[in-house]
Amino acid sequence: MARYIARRVVYMVFVFFILSIILYFLFNLIPGDPVAAQLQPLMDEMTAEEYEIRYNQLRSQMGLDDPLIVRYARWVTGMLSGDLGQSHRYRRPVADVIVTPLRNTIFINIFAVAIGLAITIPLGIFCAVKRNSILDKIVQVLTIIGHSLPHFIICLIAIYYFAVIKGWFPVSGMNTPNFEGTGWELFKDTMYHLTLPLMVMTAASLAGMTRYIRAAMSDALGMDYIKTARAKGLKEKVVIFSHAWRNALLPIVTLIINWFMSIFSGSLVVERVFNLHGMGKFFIDSLNNQDYNVSIAIQMFYIIIALVGNLVTDLSYGLVDPRVRIDS
Amino acid sequence: MDKKNENTNKKRKSFLSLLFKNLFGNRKELSIFEEEQVQSPFRTVLRTFGSNKVSMTALGIFLIIFFISMIGPLIMPIDLSFMETTQQNVAPGLDLMEFPESLNGKIADIAIGPTFSVGASTDGDVLVWGKTRISNTIDIKKMLPGDMGKVVKLAAGHDHVLALNEEGQVFSWGNDRQGQVSLPYELEFTYNIKDIIAGYQISLVLTEDGRLIHFGNTMNTDYNEFHEYQGKLDKVVATSDGILGLTFDGEVVYLGNQQNSYTNIPENMGRVVDLATTATSIAALNDEGEVFVWGNATGNQRQVPETASKIVSIKGGRTHYTAITEDGSVVAWGEDFYKQSTLPDKVKNSKIADVFTGYYQNYAITEDGEILTWGLKGYILGTDGLGRDLLGRLINGGRMSISIGAVAVIIATIIGVLVGSISGFVGGKVDMFLQRVAEIVGSLPFLPFAMILSSLIGNAMTSEQRVVLIMVILGLLSWTGLQRLVRAQVLSVREQEYVTAARAIGVKKGQIIFKHILPNVISVILVSSTLSFASSMLIEASLSYLGFGVQAPIPTWGNMLYGANDSIVIQNYWWRWVFASIVLGICVICVNLIGDGLRDAIDPRSQER
Repeated sequence: MARYIARRVVYMVFVFFILSIILYFLFNLIPGDPVAAQLQPLMDEMTAEEYEIRYNQLRSQMGLDDPLIVRYARWVTGMLSGDLGQSHRYRRPVADVIVTPLRNTIFINIFAVAIGLAITIPLGIFCAVKRNSILDKIVQVLTIIGHSLPHFIICLIAIYYFAVIKGWFPVSGMNTPNFEGTGWELFKDTMYHLTLPLMVMTAASLAGMTRYIRAAMSDALGMDYIKTARAKGLKEKVVIFSHAWRNALLPIVTLIINWFMSIFSGSLVVERVFNLHGMGKFFIDSLNNQDYNVSIAIQMFYIIIALVGNLVTDLSYGLVDPRVRIDS
Repeated sequence: MDKKNENTNKKRKSFLSLLFKNLFGNRKELSIFEEEQVQSPFRTVLRTFGSNKVSMTALGIFLIIFFISMIGPLIMPIDLSFMETTQQNVAPGLDLMEFPESLNGKIADIAIGPTFSVGASTDGDVLVWGKTRISNTIDIKKMLPGDMGKVVKLAAGHDHVLALNEEGQVFSWGNDRQGQVSLPYELEFTYNIKDIIAGYQISLVLTEDGRLIHFGNTMNTDYNEFHEYQGKLDKVVATSDGILGLTFDGEVVYLGNQQNSYTNIPENMGRVVDLATTATSIAALNDEGEVFVWGNATGNQRQVPETASKIVSIKGGRTHYTAITEDGSVVAWGEDFYKQSTLPDKVKNSKIADVFTGYYQNYAITEDGEILTWGLKGYILGTDGLGRDLLGRLINGGRMSISIGAVAVIIATIIGVLVGSISGFVGGKVDMFLQRVAEIVGSLPFLPFAMILSSLIGNAMTSEQRVVLIMVILGLLSWTGLQRLVRAQVLSVREQEYVTAARAIGVKKGQIIFKHILPNVISVILVSSTLSFASSMLIEASLSYLGFGVQAPIPTWGNMLYGANDSIVIQNYWWRWVFASIVLGICVICVNLIGDGLRDAIDPRSQER
């Protein structure tokens, strides 16, 4: 087991480095001169020679004259020791700037995932058990629609109906502007603003997940051991939850773990539409503002999450299904 | 003869039923003595798919959308640089010129705004029609003043209206942001009013004794308040940024300070009797029926058509002119984008007493008092924030969205099949290497990475190049799923007898893969490609919606929604996001249903689910 994990981790690190190289070279394709950008405000105050000297000085200071591979090595060691560079927009270290959006995203997504799981698992099981009932068919149709509609359309519809026509919830934002208050009051205000995004995120993730759980559960229910269990005279509840559900869990685990991992990455579209200051919107903003140190940091963060997610999925197979022996 | 007829009838019927059979499937019930014909697996798949009504309906709807999007742009090409500020955010409907029936036969005056028209009947009643809601707070119809007496003259500007009653009182309503509706104090004791003119954000009142009173936005329109023609003006006209007058002597004068194309007044026009303007040009008519056009005349505005008899009056729209001749016929010239200069036959054949022209609408009054209209009727699906017709953009955007999805899937399928089959068939180190590459690509977070690629590489690209870039990005990032499927299939097929046999005969490896193995896994590829076509369209839409995909002015269903990320648009201009959402939604749902149907048809076991 330990050897397997060690091997996987080594492999993960390898992939991580390859991806970081690709990303770093990609970001180096951008035309633009960070030194000139930094000196721009001072340009009028200096003579041409002063500017020239200053420019070269700053250039060697920032190490831009070194070969690409040296710069990459410097960047990657900095990143690993927690130095993600400066954000051009906020004029602060990226590591500092990124804390707030990350916290917001985790806060929002914990609710979304909890609500989502609480709805999809029972719904998927129900649909599989009562297959071809009217409710199942309705859910099937709804999930196909939900699966096919882009999230932003669901957002637009939700905003139009709940915020514009009914006026129940605010259109966007995380808090009332200039809101003052702490503790419970603040939480209440935040939740009031987050209800609509949470609804949309839950609805959007519901469709795919429900379909998946239903399919996995249907497969499990069609197996011979279910017939055996029923023939033994076991209670239907036991058959469903102990025999079928446990076996259906294997394919579902991948999805659930990816879902948990998305707690950290945030939803690009939903955060953008509702103007929530989370990772997704922060990423879009950084790209739009050409604040590339932030973009590359967030992108690396996303990659780490994806890699860790893969590892956790593989490991959890062994936990869920004793037949899978991961050490081999 | 009769028999022949019957025959064709029968044929047609059978064709229809065949079509129906093909579309919705028709599985014949077999009695127990019959045996179902043995079919090749591919035909079985087709038949099973054909009997799946949901999928067949989805296929039908998708094909309809597909053909409309592919053929539509040929019929309805769009001009990518087109922009029309007067037609921004017009609600859907074809009722711009649907005047109330009560006006028929007793028209006194019609004033025409960009999307609305105001009419006065001979009884002095004022009626408003068209798209009167200009913004959330301004509605020309709702703001109509109650008691105006008997109105004899009307004038409509960009977003405000002036009315003059028979006692010489002026009324105004509409947008007052530039003061174009706030009547100056001076008007309270001016009763000899002859004419009212409403331009872009300005209002002009002309008195019998040739004096001009001006109010509204003084910055946009070039007007010299101390011009030397006060007391000499017989008629005044306004373009979108200049004011010209006609003196009692029949001379055309410019009433502004600047030297511009309007001051370039032609000489030797003789005695001018009528003036008309478009947004940027002026036409003058002299007493001999000659028309002179100057200013920034776009399109054919300078090309006055030959008429059989003398022209007696001219009117101007936004980019076109109309004129009436002595014998009651009408001519129109200028730009024809909205068919505003194309006369319908009925107008050509009737004797016309009067013509009212403004913006892109025209109303002709026949001698019997009947109202005939031509020009811009409205927009079936409304217009967007730049005044572009949404129907045209939706159709052209459909072609873009579908082609981007299709090309991306083709790229992904080619890579996926190649990598999967080589990896599965060759095995060993090659397999190991390809699988690691696939894993690396697969572990890239899709949407963020696509955004980075498009914003980094696409920075310096034109819109057309970006379209290609998006196709390639989507294709390059989405092949890993298919690759895994193909590899698994190839691995299972590889050990079967016919492959061993082929190998034993000495068939080359490449030929074994492509001629013997691939045809057997084609069904898996088909299903996977269909489903990934749907997801490619979705991802393209999401990218474009976030501003990282295809960029304006090239329309796609996704970037048509780009502007909708705004509570004002969501609230007031619902047509700007509803139609594109519906079409995109339906299209993707259909493709997904087709994919599901194909999977069910290929893998009968999955149908039990």
